[in-house]
Amino acid sequence: MNRREEPRGERMADHLDEMSGLLYLEGQLEPARARQVSAHSEECAGCRTLLRALERESRLLTRSMVEDDEPLPARLVAAPGRSPRSMQWLWGAVFGLAATGAYAFYSGYIEPWLTQLDQAGFGGTNLLGLLVFQGAFWKGWQSMFSLFETLALVIVAGTGLLCVRRWMRRSSTLAVILGGVCAAALFPAPAGAAELRHEQSYTLGKDEVIKNDLYVAAGRARIDGTVDGDLVVFGEGLDVGGHVTGDVIAFVRTIRITGQVDGNVRVATNTLTLSGSVGRNVTSATEVLDLDSSARIGGGLTMCSGSASLDGKIARDVFAMVGRTVLTGSVGGNLKMRGADLSVGPTAQIQGRAYFAGERAPEVSSQAKLASPVEFHKVEREGRARHAGHFIWRGIWLAATLLFGLVLFLLLPRFARETVESADHYGVSLGLGILVLCGIPVAAVLACVTIVGIPVGVAAMILWGVAIYCSQIVVGAVVGKWLLGPAGDTWALIARMALGLTLLKVAGIVPFFGGLLRLAVLLWGLGAISLVIYRQFESARPAGAAPTAA
Amino acid sequence: MSAPGKTEPAEAIAGAQAGNAEAWGELYQEYAPAIFRFCRRALPTREDAEDATMEIFLKIRGKLGQYDPGRSFSAWLYKVAANHCWDLLRRRKGRQDKETEDASALPLEHPDPSQLERLIEQRTGQEVRRALDQLAPRARMALVLRYYSDMSYDEIADALGVRRAFVGVVLLRARHELRQALGQASAAAAGGNP
Repeated sequence: MNRREEPRGERMADHLDEMSGLLYLEGQLEPARARQVSAHSEECAGCRTLLRALERESRLLTRSMVEDDEPLPARLVAAPGRSPRSMQWLWGAVFGLAATGAYAFYSGYIEPWLTQLDQAGFGGTNLLGLLVFQGAFWKGWQSMFSLFETLALVIVAGTGLLCVRRWMRRSSTLAVILGGVCAAALFPAPAGAAELRHEQSYTLGKDEVIKNDLYVAAGRARIDGTVDGDLVVFGEGLDVGGHVTGDVIAFVRTIRITGQVDGNVRVATNTLTLSGSVGRNVTSATEVLDLDSSARIGGGLTMCSGSASLDGKIARDVFAMVGRTVLTGSVGGNLKMRGADLSVGPTAQIQGRAYFAGERAPEVSSQAKLASPVEFHKVEREGRARHAGHFIWRGIWLAATLLFGLVLFLLLPRFARETVESADHYGVSLGLGILVLCGIPVAAVLACVTIVGIPVGVAAMILWGVAIYCSQIVVGAVVGKWLLGPAGDTWALIARMALGLTLLKVAGIVPFFGGLLRLAVLLWGLGAISLVIYRQFESARPAGAAPTAA
Repeated sequence: MSAPGKTEPAEAIAGAQAGNAEAWGELYQEYAPAIFRFCRRALPTREDAEDATMEIFLKIRGKLGQYDPGRSFSAWLYKVAANHCWDLLRRRKGRQDKETEDASALPLEHPDPSQLERLIEQRTGQEVRRALDQLAPRARMALVLRYYSDMSYDEIADALGVRRAFVGVVLLRARHELRQALGQASAAAAGGNP
């Protein structure tokens, strides 16, 4: 009850509040409360009037709504006969085909090519080419990919489902899920079940043998026995004194390998000390790398390191980006290095070409055995002027993007608005973004298999490229909307886009974070654009179906 | 429900469930006008309502197997329609239409009953429908579900994704918005015809 002044000079009295009155009329009050309201309204003329007015309002609403003011439109006269579910299956079929095509392309062309390159050894002279195209980098990571991808897919799928649970009925969601399943199916499953260890400290005894891949997450891990498979470790420290027949993949603070690894060593660590033998290649990202005199690497060494001491024997090429390097061991192939300092000691041997790009000329001992003198390329530090020029160019590019966005928003205001609104659905947009980023090139390549499909494939790729460029504009507008609130008209939206895009560009300069941000923006914006295009197709589709006469 | 009141065509429903196209046609003829009207009240444009009606019946046909004949067919039909329309509105409006469930934001003033009566009396259905068009999607949808589809508070809570205890607040707030729209229309009319 509340109090109000009675119109006819009655004294102030308790009255029904409007909510109680409405709930009473709608039969939503507890019986005791309903009786109380009923009793009060019998005594109080003002509240009776209120109840009567509310009831009349309800009747007016019902009457207004049920009035048959518009005849059924002609297109709705006949009953629809076919469900649009076929579209969902079409989505599934398309992505299934795309996934199969991608797998076929990989296993038919890419994999044999990589195998050939791998068998050819480290023959390249370009670090990027080596990393990207030679099997050396990729081969050892396969089991790691399987683990990471499975985990990542589960996490992404879980997060995606949480985000899109309210839109689960939408066919695009189904498409995203199907696409995700197809993508997951692309990656080969591990050969067998792996051994998993998650302990504070893990030790594989000297006489113990694990005939499988071994995954360890532990504070310290010590491998004195034999792992007949790959060894994957996360933790504080790793000592490999035993025998690993596969690869060693580790993300730990300190690694010491004194035993034997038949496969590759792939590590990201603070300190890597190698005094044992590695049958194939070593790839490392470390602060300190120490190759003892007893160390043997059967393949090549690829590293990014703060400092490196190379005293052991490397059978093939060395490719490195290192701050300071001391080479006193032997290199069976070429040496290609970039860094601040290189010191080649008297016991060093390089059987192939030696190339060093750095700020200072390498110090080469006259007693070192080199196939040819070290080729030196002096690297100048980037000057202030160059930095200034860099930022000027960034500014020009930003202006160009803003201009492009402005034209786009003015030419296609409705599309722009819908795209920005679509971006509000983060989960669907990101999921679809991943799908489109990966799926369109594959679909375009498949389309180009036939002559007729070439224009379609080329057009799809052009549209894909434009959408990728536009993704930053869309996300910029969303960021601007967050900061300035919803836009009333197109110019307000453009203003938000300009602000958001500028902020994104500035944030994109930050090392590492900037890269992640750019990727997220790309996926998010691309997904939002794709969602709107999909909806356009959906609404352009004739409303379902060949009608069947009733 | 509004369409109900009359006996539901059990034979046509059973026939449609069994895949009989003629029975499906009969069912469609029976309910399509009511569902179109429902969509017309709930959605902003006639085109939206036409599309939605078509899509709802396509959905219904696909889901007929899930219908439990022991329950009201029209109630089930309106539930599907409500979910479809609300999904459509929510997708379109996105986050812009986020309304707080904070009941304290609602003015629970006791309106002057006689003033309320004056506002309501002499109103035509057309005026109310025009005013309805000006309401926020959730307010309009709540009124349509309650006063057109005759849904219970539980069903409305389920359809709109709000707590049951909040349905009354949504409805009352929607009525306030409607009164405001009606008042503005009256003021505009009075200004136009002095």
